[in-house]
Amino acid sequence: SAYAAEHNWRFANLYTRGTAFGDVYGSMAENIETMSGGRIKVKMMYAGEGVDTRGILGGVKSGLITMGAHFQPMNAGELPAGIVEVGLPGGTADVGELSVLFHEKGFNEVLTRAYAEQGMVYLNPYIQPPVYLLTKKPINSVEDFKGLKLRAPGAYGKFVRNLGASPVSMTWSEIYTGLATGVIDGSIGSNLIDHRDGNHAEVAKYMYRLPLAGAQVLPVVVNKKAWDKLPDDLKAIVKAATAVHARDQMTKSRLWESQAIADMEAKGMKWSPEPSEADKAAWAKAGENLWGEYAKSDKFSAELVEILKKQ
Amino acid sequence: MMGIELLTGILLLCILVSFALGAPVGFALGGIAMAVGYFTWGDGIFQIVPNTFESVLFSFILLSIPLYIYMGQLLTRSGIGDAMFNASQLVIGKLRGSLAISVIGVCSMIGAMVGIIGAGIMTSGSIALKPMLDRGYDKKLALGVIMAGGGLGILIPPSVPMIMFAASTQNSVGKMFVAALFPALLAIIFLVSYIIISCKLNPERAPLGTGAEAKMTPKEKARTLRDGFMSVFLIFAVLGSIISGIATPTESGAIGVVGAVILAFFFKRFRLGMFRMAGMETAMLVSVAMWIILGATLFSNFHLMMGVQDMIASFTQDLGLPPLGVVILMQLVMLALGFIIDEFIIVLMCAPLFTPIVVDLGFDPIWFGILMILNIEIAVQTPPYGFALFYLKGIAPPGVTMLDIYKSVTPFILLKLCVLIICMLFPELVMWLPNKVMGP
Amino acid sequence: MVKKLIIFYCTGIDRLISFIGKSISLLMPCLALVIAYEVCSRYVFNQPTIWAYDTSLFFSAYLAALGGAYAYQKNAHINVDILYLAVSNKTKRVFNILTGVLAAFFMLILILMAREKFAEAVKFDYRKMSNWAPPTHHFWMMLIVAAVLIILQISSNMMKDIFYIFTGQDLLPEPEIDTEQEDDQ
Ligand code: NA
Ligand code: NA
Repeated sequence: SAYAAEHNWRFANLYTRGTAFGDVYGSMAENIETMSGGRIKVKMMYAGEGVDTRGILGGVKSGLITMGAHFQPMNAGELPAGIVEVGLPGGTADVGELSVLFHEKGFNEVLTRAYAEQGMVYLNPYIQPPVYLLTKKPINSVEDFKGLKLRAPGAYGKFVRNLGASPVSMTWSEIYTGLATGVIDGSIGSNLIDHRDGNHAEVAKYMYRLPLAGAQVLPVVVNKKAWDKLPDDLKAIVKAATAVHARDQMTKSRLWESQAIADMEAKGMKWSPEPSEADKAAWAKAGENLWGEYAKSDKFSAELVEILKKQ
Repeated sequence: MMGIELLTGILLLCILVSFALGAPVGFALGGIAMAVGYFTWGDGIFQIVPNTFESVLFSFILLSIPLYIYMGQLLTRSGIGDAMFNASQLVIGKLRGSLAISVIGVCSMIGAMVGIIGAGIMTSGSIALKPMLDRGYDKKLALGVIMAGGGLGILIPPSVPMIMFAASTQNSVGKMFVAALFPALLAIIFLVSYIIISCKLNPERAPLGTGAEAKMTPKEKARTLRDGFMSVFLIFAVLGSIISGIATPTESGAIGVVGAVILAFFFKRFRLGMFRMAGMETAMLVSVAMWIILGATLFSNFHLMMGVQDMIASFTQDLGLPPLGVVILMQLVMLALGFIIDEFIIVLMCAPLFTPIVVDLGFDPIWFGILMILNIEIAVQTPPYGFALFYLKGIAPPGVTMLDIYKSVTPFILLKLCVLIICMLFPELVMWLPNKVMGP
Repeated sequence: MVKKLIIFYCTGIDRLISFIGKSISLLMPCLALVIAYEVCSRYVFNQPTIWAYDTSLFFSAYLAALGGAYAYQKNAHINVDILYLAVSNKTKRVFNILTGVLAAFFMLILILMAREKFAEAVKFDYRKMSNWAPPTHHFWMMLIVAAVLIILQISSNMMKDIFYIFTGQDLLPEPEIDTEQEDDQ
């Protein structure tokens, strides 16, 4: 552009250039620019373009990037409350319930403090589709999980251990080979679309029907110092753009999730049989006792789990 | 603020000056990125350091570099690795250049174990460079063979760049792996033919019969054959551990290390001093490789933060070229990027930028992905700046200069360029097998 | 007298860094063992560990970063030596000083940033994202040490180079290449 913007921002997200999700963040960046009449210029940084995906949170903290959309499980060791935020195993899928939880029952308020403690401003959270488990063999009952080696990091690892499986640590780019050769018997993906993009259904055909957590809630965060430099009207504009973005995520991710399922089914993905009531109960139980454990990880997590239990 | 084109020019100039002064590559790249960053961005850019160091030093994929080099060092220093080549010389030693051909064979097997360039070249170099030099092979031929053979690491499955390409363009990894087989075979045939022809024309490049096996007693011969057989067996055991799902490609390096130690004990060749020296040499090579990767990643992260990807994106728009012309131009851009950026970043950056355009022009994305892998293999070996060149210098004996390395890789780069061009002009060569096996 | 002091400084630093470089290489067999143990415990006992993944990454990080100074001492870091080999010995020393300053600048920034991260990691008790969740503060402290060692080695090299430029003589006798052979064989 010919003129200089008042604020030059950098916005990093988790997805590579050209992916559907990447475009949603891209249009949020464009929205901020147009809604602010060009006073804020936002440069979009996709995955691998300067900041490692695990480093988005740290980048926003230090001001290297102004705004970031990170994936909390990757930063579980730096901001444990993010694990409760994204959704503990056994959490709800109901969008209305989640909205009440965040906006009315106090999640937003606690998380605002949690992020502020590390120099970040917490903006409107948005909802993405849940985490599913893909296995090489069909799962006919929960018993079948016993002894399986599943790639499941962090909280999900503890969940599958409660089911009798063994969580395996494996780097993302080895999941495909790991599934193909049988080093692991299954893997979780950050959502169904992720399974499609990783081509995992080529080498592991069975998707389990129950998601590990109902839905995932992710935030957009901004570096505190950059935020404080904005006049109130621009702050309002950025907030408005994040609200539009949250709506976008909701409508589009539903659509993409069903497309991803269709794509994978076309390539031979199958669903494991419908779980019985007893299976569903066992599944829920595996998630429940994790809540107490995660409440212990820090003070903000404790507050969040307290709110969850009151639900 | 400075335009990205001008900034890129300044960065290139700084690289050339610091390289001319003989600066250690990794430290120079890091220092330049930080100094130029300070003057264009301010001290905020220094915050890029923690993220870069964390992501490089905590990258599990890069662990295959120490593990496989260690296996190579243990095999070489215990004499088991040499035994493999001695045995091959007993069998096919009458053919001029046969040792270099065995080396290509061993490199192909290593290529089937490792998934990244650095591990391929440094492991092949650890095992196979010394036997060639000991037998009086021409230095340039020996270095070039290691470079060309080690580069097969990303062309023969498993291959990390292929997995990254498939993921970022939503294509089948399995199909990529199968599609790479014919180009890999073509590359191997070209390399072997070149060695045979070149040694025929210049017999002094590959002396005959100067090896120890010329004056061996039958008992020694039997021992050599047995040792050679066992070391090939170790390589197959490592390959088997990957294929049978015991370990991932990275982890299998550790199996190779344990196997090499067991073999050394078995053949009574284990010495504490040998074991210590192998560890020290490996540690040194790993440190050298990792500091290059650290500095270079810092450099490219800075360049990406300043928007080099937008420059590439705008460059390939609205060209008004015929379809194949666009593909060729993209190949040239990637070759040029190999000037300053490593294999993973080229894929991460170019795959999503270029592939949709190529698909719109009516080409097969898998075919384009294979071209990209072939291209990267060339780009990282092209002077003056290429990771593969630096890795090779790290593994080469003292006294080998960078100029030696530049000269030695040139014919092999041309061979690989031929493979690239053939695969570009005849897409059916690449696509026939995967379409046959997995359907179009 | 000054010369003695400089010699004392340079040999002291060279010895320290050589000691650290050789000691750190002991991590190499440990690294291989940890990963081999993980494979065995997963495949044979069907009990993957929760600690092997992060431990192996810490080992390799320590190995790579802390070995940097020793590689500097041994001139093992890769350079493009085309012009370098063509110039006189004195010019070489001038080149060394210039490139040493650039490398030391990079290391100085690494120290500043790692110090900041170390303080942050201690304050917020940063950990790895895994189930095992080991603390990461020591990693930043290790980077500070690695960078300080590299700066020390550069300073020692610079002393030798400056001495040569002024006197035309080597401060210390040239170390033989690969002084340590496989001695106990
Ligand atoms: Na490979
Ligand atoms: Na190059």
